[in-house]
Amino acid sequence: MQSLGYFGEFGGVYVPETLIPALEELEATFLRIQTDDAFQTEFRDLLRDFAGRPTPLYEAKNLSRDLGIRLFLKREDLLHGGAHKTNNALGQALLAKAMGKTRIIAETGAGQHGVATAMAGALLGLKTEVYMGEVDMARQAPNVFRMKLLGAEVHAVTSGGRTLKDAINEALRDWITNLRDTHYLLGTAAGPHPFPTIVKYFQRVIGDEARAQMLESVGRLPEYIVACVGGGSNAIGMFTAFVDDADVKLIGVEPAGKGIETPEHGAVLAKGTVGTLHGMRSYVLQDEDGQIHETYSVSAGLDYPSVGPEHAYLKSIGRVRYDSADDEEAIHGFHLLSRREGIIPALEPSHAIAYLERLAKEIPPGSVVLLNMCGRGDKDLQTVMNYV
Amino acid sequence: MNSRYQRRFEQLKSENRKAFIPFTVLGYPDRDRCRRTLAAMIASGVSALELGLAFSDPVADGPVIQKASFDVIESGFKVRDAFELVREARALDNEIPIGLLVYHNMVIARGGEEFFRQAADAGVDGILIADLPPESADELAAAAKRQGIDLIFIISPLTDAERIGQIAKLGGGFLYVVSRLGITGTEARYDDQLRALLERAHAATDLPLCVGFGISTPENAANMYELGADGAISGSRVVELVDRSGENFEVALQQFFEAMMQTTRE
Repeated sequence: MQSLGYFGEFGGVYVPETLIPALEELEATFLRIQTDDAFQTEFRDLLRDFAGRPTPLYEAKNLSRDLGIRLFLKREDLLHGGAHKTNNALGQALLAKAMGKTRIIAETGAGQHGVATAMAGALLGLKTEVYMGEVDMARQAPNVFRMKLLGAEVHAVTSGGRTLKDAINEALRDWITNLRDTHYLLGTAAGPHPFPTIVKYFQRVIGDEARAQMLESVGRLPEYIVACVGGGSNAIGMFTAFVDDADVKLIGVEPAGKGIETPEHGAVLAKGTVGTLHGMRSYVLQDEDGQIHETYSVSAGLDYPSVGPEHAYLKSIGRVRYDSADDEEAIHGFHLLSRREGIIPALEPSHAIAYLERLAKEIPPGSVVLLNMCGRGDKDLQTVMNYV
Repeated sequence: MNSRYQRRFEQLKSENRKAFIPFTVLGYPDRDRCRRTLAAMIASGVSALELGLAFSDPVADGPVIQKASFDVIESGFKVRDAFELVREARALDNEIPIGLLVYHNMVIARGGEEFFRQAADAGVDGILIADLPPESADELAAAAKRQGIDLIFIISPLTDAERIGQIAKLGGGFLYVVSRLGITGTEARYDDQLRALLERAHAATDLPLCVGFGISTPENAANMYELGADGAISGSRVVELVDRSGENFEVALQQFFEAMMQTTRE
C-alpha cells in the first residue's frame, strides 16, 4: 500500500492478509479518481441533481431565542435519503464502478447507510446486499423496508450483540470471500486505511458548503460547531473544513445511553482505551483481555464500540472536545427541535441538539453555533413512541 | 535448529512425512473437555497444535469458530485460563510445537511484549495474529523475537512472490497458507491457484507451508499434500466433532486424528 493511513498513532491497517489486495486496489483507485475529471464531474452532478446538494444552511431562530445564541443548522436531513450518508454512498459506489466491481455490500446500524447504499446501487446498477443486526432491524423497520424497495437484499446478523459492530464483522467476512467482484461500501469514517480517508473525502462537502454558506450569509465563521459522533462520518465531514480555523471550537457529542457510569453507553472517546477493532487502531470499549464490549444507545446509528481514528487523533491533540448526551437528553432534543423549529430530527443529531442547552449556558450570549443536522427523524418515530 | 517448529519439521522431512495440525478454541466447550481434546490430540501423535484464543470479533473465522468463541467468552473463560490449558498441554509433551491463533487487540491489550512473555512462559512456540499484515507487524515481530516466539503469517492465493519473501523474513515456524479466499470452515472448494501459490512460496522461502481453511477429511489433506503442502491444518471439523459426539467425543477425535495422521505417511 502507498500509505498505512495513520492519524498520529491511530488508524492503520489491521486486517487479515486476504484483504490486503482489496485494500491496495481500493487505495490505488481512490488516488486515481482524485484527479480524474470524468469521475469528479459525475460525482458532482449526482450530488446536485440526484441528491439535492447543496443542502441549506438554516438559522433556527426560535431555538436561538430560547437559548440565547445564534444557531445555524446544516440541513443534511434534507439530502435525498434523509441523511448525510448519501454523499459517501454515491462516491464509493462510483469508486466500485471505477474498479469494475459488480456488487456492493454494506453494514448498517440505523439503516440510513443501508438505504443510501441501496439507492446508489439501484441508480448505478450494482447488486446490493446489506448486513444489519437483528436488534437494529427490529428498531429500524421502516428502513429495512426501504432497502428492500430499492432492490437490496438485507441479511439479518445474529452473531454477538446483533447490532452495528456485528454487521461490520459480517460484511468484512463477505468481503474477504468475495473481494474479486465486490466492493465493501463502508459507511463511517472508520475501518482500515483507506476507508477513514475515503469517507472523509466524500463527506467533507458538508463542511466545505457550510463554511462558504456561513461566510456568505452571516459574513463570519461560527464560534462553535457541534456534531454527534458514533463512527464519526458526519462529524468529520463537517469538522474537516474548519480544523485549520483555530478560533472555531469543535465539539463532538457521543451517545451516553443510560449514562457513562453504567455499562450501557457508547461514549467511546470518554470511556474507551486504545485498541484494535475492524482493521484500525482507535479507542474501543473493552475488557482487560481485549474483548470488545457491547454498547448501547437509543440511537442505532451511534451504537458502536469504537470510533473513527481521526476523531481519536483530534481528541489526542485537543483540537476537538468530545462530550456526551444520554438517551433521555436525546429524546428531549428530538422533541425540542420538532416543536420549536418544525423539524423532526433523527435520534443521532438529537444528541447534539440536547447538548446545545448545556453549551448555551457556558458560552457568551449571542455566540454563533453551527450544528450538523445530519438526518431526519422519520425512521425513529417508533422508537420515540415506545420510549418510556 | 532451536525452535520446536524447526526440529519437528526437520524430523518430518527426514522421515519423508507431512504435518497434520489440528486446531481448536481454547476453553471450548468447557475447560475440562478442552483439556481432554488437547490430550487426545497429543495422544494421537499429531505433528503440532494450533490453538485459538476466543475473541469477541473474529472477522477471519466462519460460523463454527465464531460460535465456539462466543460460547467460550460467555462462559467467563479468560486469557489467563487459556494460558493455563496450554501449560497443561505442554506438560504432556515437551517437544510438540504449540501455536496460538489470536487477534491483534488481545495481544496489545496486555502489551505485545508482555503477551508474548506470558505465552512463551506457558509453553507456546508460535503466534499467528489473524489481523496483522506484515506492513503493520515490525514492532510486534521484534517483541516476539525477544521473547523467543515465532510470529506466524498468512499467505493467500493473491499473495505475490515478492510479498511472500517479505512475509517470510518477518515470520518463523511455518507459513499458514489460506487454500482459497474466504473464512475458516466453509465448504471445501479448492482454488486452482493453490498449486501455483505453493510453488511460488516454496521458491521464495524455506519455511514449511501448512494449508488451512476447509480441510475436514483425510482426502482434503491428501489433496493438499499432493499439491505441494508440507502440512494441513484442520479446525472447524475438530470443533464440530467435539460438538456432535456427546460423551464419546474423545473416541471420535482420536479416530479423526488417526485417519488424518495416516495420510501424512502416504
